[in-house]
Amino acid sequence: MILALTFTEASVIGLLVAGVQFGTLLYLAALGETVAEKSGVLNLGVEGMMATGASVGFIVAVETGSPWAGILAGAAAGALLSLVHAVAAVGLGADQVVSGLALTFLGLGLADFVGDGYTDDARRSLFRDVELPGLDGIPWIGEIVFRHSPVTYGAVLSGIVVWFVLNRTAVGLGLRAAGETAATADAAGHSVLRLRFAAVMVGGAFAGASGAYLTTYLVGSWSQNLTAGRGWIAVALVIFGAWRPGRVALGALLFGFTLALKSRLAVFGIEFSPILLDMTPYLLTVVVLVVISIRARNKPSPAPAAIGIPYRREER
Amino acid sequence: MKRLVLTRREIPTRGGQPVAFLFGLAFALLVGAILMQVSGDPAIDVYQRMWERSLGSTDTWSVTFNRAVPLALAGLAVSIAATMGLWNIGAEGQILFGATAATLVGRLFPDWPGPVLITAMLIAAVIGGALWALGPGLAKAELGVSEIITTLMLTEVAIRLITYLEQGPWKDPEGFGFPNVTARPPQAELGDLWDRTHIGVLLALAVIGAFAWFINRSVWGYELRIAGSSRQTAAYAGISMRRKVLGVLLLSGAVAGFAGGIELTGTAVRLNAQISNGYGFSGIIVAALALMRPSAIPVVALAFGAVQVGGQSIQTSLGVSPAVSTILQALILFGAIGAAVFSNYRVVAVDRQVSVA
Repeated sequence: MILALTFTEASVIGLLVAGVQFGTLLYLAALGETVAEKSGVLNLGVEGMMATGASVGFIVAVETGSPWAGILAGAAAGALLSLVHAVAAVGLGADQVVSGLALTFLGLGLADFVGDGYTDDARRSLFRDVELPGLDGIPWIGEIVFRHSPVTYGAVLSGIVVWFVLNRTAVGLGLRAAGETAATADAAGHSVLRLRFAAVMVGGAFAGASGAYLTTYLVGSWSQNLTAGRGWIAVALVIFGAWRPGRVALGALLFGFTLALKSRLAVFGIEFSPILLDMTPYLLTVVVLVVISIRARNKPSPAPAAIGIPYRREER
Repeated sequence: MKRLVLTRREIPTRGGQPVAFLFGLAFALLVGAILMQVSGDPAIDVYQRMWERSLGSTDTWSVTFNRAVPLALAGLAVSIAATMGLWNIGAEGQILFGATAATLVGRLFPDWPGPVLITAMLIAAVIGGALWALGPGLAKAELGVSEIITTLMLTEVAIRLITYLEQGPWKDPEGFGFPNVTARPPQAELGDLWDRTHIGVLLALAVIGAFAWFINRSVWGYELRIAGSSRQTAAYAGISMRRKVLGVLLLSGAVAGFAGGIELTGTAVRLNAQISNGYGFSGIIVAALALMRPSAIPVVALAFGAVQVGGQSIQTSLGVSPAVSTILQALILFGAIGAAVFSNYRVVAVDRQVSVA
């Protein structure tokens, strides 16, 4: 299987850089889902919102010539789409699993419908990497950590902001309360419905931005089924990261490297079916979830207690 | 100053769900039409074409009926898992692995006579589907790992497994270099009832009927209904939740695998990663619209079969994206969710002062 390993410095750095790039994609979507789930709403529509963000973001970026407009449009499209889930699952109290899945359908369908005319519009990445002055000169680390698209830095910043808002502000406290014991949050004067609506839409915006990053930076074009299940990995990452923005980031990096490894095996001189390797992120997710639950067997679950349960004041 | 609030009806309105379904259908057609008009597609022509190519003429009934078969079986698989409050989101992967197992039998015994080979292939498909659900079932029963994520991840694995088989081990040596699995033995083809409507229609109805009987009449089914409705009652009655969870997911996987076997012997010539064609996912919407009731599943599956078959015809003839069909399916569900609120709740106008806490 292994012919000759050619671990050159450049190839290893290339792998790590690509891992951070894929990690950014996963992190944006997983961070948004963390916010939604913290408020007590599971949204299985991440894959669909990501797809719509990918196609809308790409079209806007191409038409305006601005990748930033693309990311913003992708985020707006994701947030708008998530509103459907918010109305159905939060407003009308429909089953969150069913509504979220239907949202994935709707998102994938809309992405194809809208992007229909743009499949052949292939071009290079619309973003330029930004080298952080002073830091990018550090050997190894400079290249791996400090030479990325602005979106990667934005994702890191978003993670810090989300952590801060969730854990250090009154809104964050209310949001977490809505996800743990909604009636208590209500009694404390928070509007559970408003908080959950907002959390779902923040989740949608992040998933949409993640999709737009995929088309405007990582791939540089749009085609059908481009998201290829990565939105689902993002959903799993939230469990992996125990609903904590920092741990979710670690998970995103780990899975990002796995995704990046696939296209780079040949560079390392390893002969192994790329298709079988393609399975690893998905199998890894299953294995990781199993290991987590074995380790957490006798501990309280880190999952928000009210996840999946609709809230109606008159039924508390 | 008055404001509107929803209060739960003591008894849901009778016949609410069929009405909600019809409302969902109307809602989907309306929103879909607006969407198409905005993007410059002729909505009326599209709907007319979709109707003609699915249920509107007897010529195309066969295609629609055949399409409803995997949708109904996938819907049943989802509703079986739902009896224990579980979500088998990965029926898609079980369909694929069921078809893979059936293909293996076809490769091992290519000379067996048709009826024997078909039976063996369908049994293999059932076992294959159950096997693909075994891991998630054990993880859920023993460790409480969310079956939603595990079944879904295994779907992605199944897709790649088949792609691997296509390119390597099972590649057709006479396939002119194309990465295709060798076609199944020609005698392993389900017979037709009429036109091109295959026996799978009867088989699917039989499986659905058997499960309806099983859940309502057998001891295991009775225990299942208790365990699914109340954990505590089940514990008092000495019912093992772990075994029920595992059993239900295996059965769900088996039914999905059966759908894969039917597809391979009924409508497909060879195994490929598209053989499941999203049925596992559509099945979730079908089951949800049928309120998980086996008796309602065939009706909803037929409607969805029509939308899917009709949706395929609009690209070639009208140049409209077949994604319209996917959008319509999702909108039917959202419309029905909206309408169902009115059978479960009553809208009441109350004074603002009273309601604001």
